[in-house]
Amino acid sequence: MHLQLTVNGNPREVDGAWEGESLLYVLRERLGLPGSKNACEQGECGSCSVYLDGVLVCSCLVLAAQAAGRDVVTVEGLAENGELHPIQKDFVEAGAVQCGFCTPGLIVATHELLARNPRPTDPEIREALAGNLCRCTGYEKILDAVRAAAVRNSRA
Amino acid sequence: MGHRSYVGQSPPRREDPGLVAGAHRYVADIVVPGCLDAVFVRSFEAHGLLNAVDLAAAQSMEGIVGAYSAGELPDLPVTPAPPRAEVPPEMSWPALARDRVRFAGQPIAVVLAADRYTAEDGAELVFADIDPLEAVIDPGPAASDEVMLFEPRSNVVSVREFGAPVDDVMDSAPVVVETIIRNERLCPTSIETRGIVVVPDGDDITVHVSHQAPQRLRQSLARSFGIEAELVRVIVPHVGGAFGAKSQTYPEYIVIAHLARKLGRPVRWIEDRREAFAGATHGRGQTQRLRLAADREGNLLALEALVDADIGAYPHTGEFIAANTGWMLSGPYTIPHLHVRVRAVVTNTTPTAAYRGAGRPEAAYALERALDRLAHRLGADPAELRLRNFIDRNEFPYRSPTGAVYDSGDHAAALRLALERAGYDDARAEQRRRRTTGDGNPLGIGIGSYIERSGGQEGSTEFGSVTIEPDGTVVARSGATPQGQGHATAFAQVVASALEVELDRVSVIQGDTDEVPVGVGTFGSRSMQVGGSSLHHAAHDALEEARLRASAHLEVAEADLRYDDGRFTVVGTDRSVTLGQLATERALSAQAEFGPPQAFPFGTYVAVVELDRDTGDISLEKLVAVDDCGIVINPKLVEGQSVGSIIQGIGQALYEQVVFDEYGQPLMSSLMDYSLPTVAELPELVLDQTVTPNPNVPLGNKGAGEAGCIGTPPAIVNAIVDALGGRDEGIDLPVTPEKVWLVLSRSD
Repeated sequence: MHLQLTVNGNPREVDGAWEGESLLYVLRERLGLPGSKNACEQGECGSCSVYLDGVLVCSCLVLAAQAAGRDVVTVEGLAENGELHPIQKDFVEAGAVQCGFCTPGLIVATHELLARNPRPTDPEIREALAGNLCRCTGYEKILDAVRAAAVRNSRA
Repeated sequence: MGHRSYVGQSPPRREDPGLVAGAHRYVADIVVPGCLDAVFVRSFEAHGLLNAVDLAAAQSMEGIVGAYSAGELPDLPVTPAPPRAEVPPEMSWPALARDRVRFAGQPIAVVLAADRYTAEDGAELVFADIDPLEAVIDPGPAASDEVMLFEPRSNVVSVREFGAPVDDVMDSAPVVVETIIRNERLCPTSIETRGIVVVPDGDDITVHVSHQAPQRLRQSLARSFGIEAELVRVIVPHVGGAFGAKSQTYPEYIVIAHLARKLGRPVRWIEDRREAFAGATHGRGQTQRLRLAADREGNLLALEALVDADIGAYPHTGEFIAANTGWMLSGPYTIPHLHVRVRAVVTNTTPTAAYRGAGRPEAAYALERALDRLAHRLGADPAELRLRNFIDRNEFPYRSPTGAVYDSGDHAAALRLALERAGYDDARAEQRRRRTTGDGNPLGIGIGSYIERSGGQEGSTEFGSVTIEPDGTVVARSGATPQGQGHATAFAQVVASALEVELDRVSVIQGDTDEVPVGVGTFGSRSMQVGGSSLHHAAHDALEEARLRASAHLEVAEADLRYDDGRFTVVGTDRSVTLGQLATERALSAQAEFGPPQAFPFGTYVAVVELDRDTGDISLEKLVAVDDCGIVINPKLVEGQSVGSIIQGIGQALYEQVVFDEYGQPLMSSLMDYSLPTVAELPELVLDQTVTPNPNVPLGNKGAGEAGCIGTPPAIVNAIVDALGGRDEGIDLPVTPEKVWLVLSRSD
């Protein structure tokens, strides 16, 4: 199929996609955006999290055909003017990154949490990020990073 | 100006800006034009005769470039065993099954196409004709050889013994506790699965792979294909976690490299999650029978441990991991008489290998559970029992009855600090109050003291080199290749400190055998202890060479030179020369392959749990971890390793378990079936440390990174059993609310 969609603000076109392939596949294999990670292809780990028309989704569970005409934002689209997004900086400063494979999904999920709830409580953070699996960090520093972002938001 | 040192500091990780941006490349992100995608067809039977593999339908499908079973690839090498493993040739692991399948998930055939979706469709069309045979999945029954995997050879691959039989002591000892412990199999479950891309170029191959030991993989591939190692370049990009399961040469790697060489085309294989559960190696998997003898005061007299290690269908790394358990079984205690027998037994299950801790968690768990049984029998406080039996701090270096030489330690200090941080006395008082009044839910306090071994195999080295460039920058190369630990940051700290230069002047190169042809790898908590020490020595040697050159260049004695921040100055003058200037005419470089003795980090963990009387739910109220890994180079990185390892230990204690049914079918194929801890399960953690420097390395550091998953499981399970008043029947790993509820309901 011929696929048109908007990715990180840019109109993109893909020729020869199969309707049944995943949006994750389109992003990684056809559009050269490997920031979203493929770790389970079953919607269980959150590593491929992206925005689809402003809604947080696992891109491995979205079909290419479903993405036609839609607006997609990936981890590559969060930096502003070549600067890391403040949430990305929070992750670095908190020590919330080890191998980094789950990190893009966690960054997007955190971005979505803070967009709808700028000052989440700890239980709210835990609930929001419970769908993102990390095997390295033990999560504690990820919590710290999100808390730091929440504190920054309460100052703003 | 003082000596510039970055030891003990936590500069920002250099790896992170690219990682949070999604910009760094992992193996699946590498674009190779014309690369074929491979999909494996795997055995659906755990044990059977493989009569035929019908590839015709797949081969004729549009878009399929090739489909192969072992029959089509007569020259396909077998999976090479690691050098340390004792693997009889008749038990070798075929890269694609021939005639016989021995575990569900074993690769039988491989299908190639230009894209993964097409290759998956082709793989669906492959038909394997298998006559099932009876499967054996438990190492105990397997050892009886009623069902054999490699007849006429016994399923018992090896028997290792430590110490001598202790029956006499057991017979005369005032108190003997016995216990049978099942240390369940776990799946390492790095978030990035395995992956490999092999790019042929004439006789050369370039291998991009998610791996812990690229130099070893290079040697292993070269030997397998009968080619010179120089023809093989292994490049490890960013790696999405490994935890021991990416240290070996897998059958899939042999197949992919073989096909790339045969076809003269690049081929890649990126494992999916289902394959990762069935086809990648598992860890742990032991049945342990312990007898622990003591006198009435609680002085330990003897320990006997009979361990059956389930090493899966083919002897591989798991064969010698089990030996680590035997080696470490006397723990941090003085035990006069010890006898350990470790049998490595094949079963119709996924082969086992290292998983974080690799034999030491199995040892610590068994010993600490047995100690708590003993404390319960004696009516002793478990903390007092441990303090009574710890090796005294003045007895180091200490030779354990298994032959391990512990470098240093102060186990009592770590335990006392852990008790203090846990509020042990208050928790015990609250526990007594609840027991007396019947108010509230059962409360339990559990202790897990451990000693661990870091550095890998005794005497193993790591390569490190330090090169000073004419522009004054410094390039450090190390064979210790990271999987997310932050080596590039920590190694730069070591080298910049040794050279007394700005941290930013040092760059670190790892993970490419063209750049670093020699090396051992990252496992066994060895990178900083062994690899960091090598870099330290190399940096010092480079600096001494620079000093010689500076002396000649400035025509003064070395004693008249002052060195500061990359510059030698003649004392009392303004005549000087920089490191970079000294490297202009002749390369200024030094290398080291240092092999220090193993180190033995230690510590004590204390868990406080509350059990729901009605549901059996387990609430981990607090976990205190006191670790001693000697001098810490980068506290933030070590803390990250501790927390990550602790959460994996919580996973083992409460959630994770690889389960096979009686036919050998794995009952977990997705992350819905195998419960990794999520952020919701993170308890209150209290981390602290004591510092007992390692006397055998220049910076005094010991390994960090595996301690958490060694100390945590016994602390938690001992706390649960403590809350249950010592009743541990059925309280096996992982301890679920159901198991707790069954004990609670029996007593009500």
